[in-house]
Amino acid sequence: MTDPDHDIEQALASLRPRAPGPAVTAHLAHELDASSSRRGLVIAWSAGLSALAAAFVAAFVFLGGVAETESPNYQLVHVEQSRPDVQFFRPVQMNDGSYARPMRVRWQDTTRWEDTRSNTRLINYRPNDQLTLLPLETN
Amino acid sequence: MPDAHADQDWRAWFTEHGARLRLIARQWTRCEADADDVLQEAFVRFWKHQRHLPGNPNALVVTSLRRAALDLLRRGDRRAAREKVVGDDMDTVTWFESEADPRLAALADSLKLLPAEQREVVVLKVWGDLTFEEIGEQLSISPNTAASRWRYAMEALRKHITARTHD
Repeated sequence: MTDPDHDIEQALASLRPRAPGPAVTAHLAHELDASSSRRGLVIAWSAGLSALAAAFVAAFVFLGGVAETESPNYQLVHVEQSRPDVQFFRPVQMNDGSYARPMRVRWQDTTRWEDTRSNTRLINYRPNDQLTLLPLETN
Repeated sequence: MPDAHADQDWRAWFTEHGARLRLIARQWTRCEADADDVLQEAFVRFWKHQRHLPGNPNALVVTSLRRAALDLLRRGDRRAAREKVVGDDMDTVTWFESEADPRLAALADSLKLLPAEQREVVVLKVWGDLTFEEIGEQLSISPNTAASRWRYAMEALRKHITARTHD
C-alpha cells in the first residue's frame, strides 16, 4: 500500500531552500569565535589560578617541612592530680534484693609541658567524674 | 550543568542545517532580510543558552526561530502592518534555489496558495524534520490537528499540480 502523500512529500523535500546570506554566516562565525575566545580567557584565568594555587600548596608543603624541624619540643614538667571530691548518696535496692550506696568521685588530672627553646607551655587539663555503687551488707 | 553536546562542531552543524532553518524562518517573516535576522538571532540565542541541553537540538532551534520571528513581528507594535506585508510578499518560489524541473518549480510556487496554518505545518514537517507531535507542541495545537492540516495541504498541492500539468 502506497501513501498518496508520499510523492508530494518527496518532491517537496527535493526542493533546495536558499542558504543564509553571507552576512548571517559571518556574524555567526564571529559570535561563535568571540564566545570561544571568552571561554579561552576563562580557561586561561583558571589555569593561572590553578598554577597560583599549586604554588601556594608547594610553598605550604615546603615551609611546613621546615617548620616541622623547628616545631616545639615539649617536655613533661609537671603532673598534678587534685584531691578527689567524694559524695555519698542514699542506699538503693538492687534488682536481686541487695542494697548498695551510690558514690560519686570527681577529680582533675593536670599535666604541663614546656619547650624551653621557644619558651612555650602546653597545659593538659582533664576533669574526671565517676559514679560507682558500694555494696552494703545487711544483717 | 554538563554539556550534552560538548563535542559538537556547531559551525559545521549550522552549515549543514542553515538553509532549511532559514526556510522555516522565512515562512514566519515578511521578507528575506527579516528571515536572515531571525535566523541569526535565534541561532545565537540557542547557542548561548541551550546548546548544552540533552536531546536533539533541532527542535530547540526551531522553537528559538519561532520566538525570534514572533518577537520581530511584535517589535515596534507594527504587527498588523507587517502581517499585511507578509501577505503581499509571499512569493514562495524565491524561498528555494531555482529549479530546472518545471514540476518542482510549480510545486514551490504552489506553497503560496496554501493557508498560512497549513503551510507552516508543511514547512515544519518537511524542512523542520519534526513529527506531528513536535509540530503540535511548536504551534500549540494537538497532533491530530497538525496531521489534518498536513492532509489538507497535501490534497491541495496535489490538485494544484495536477491542474497545472493538464494546462
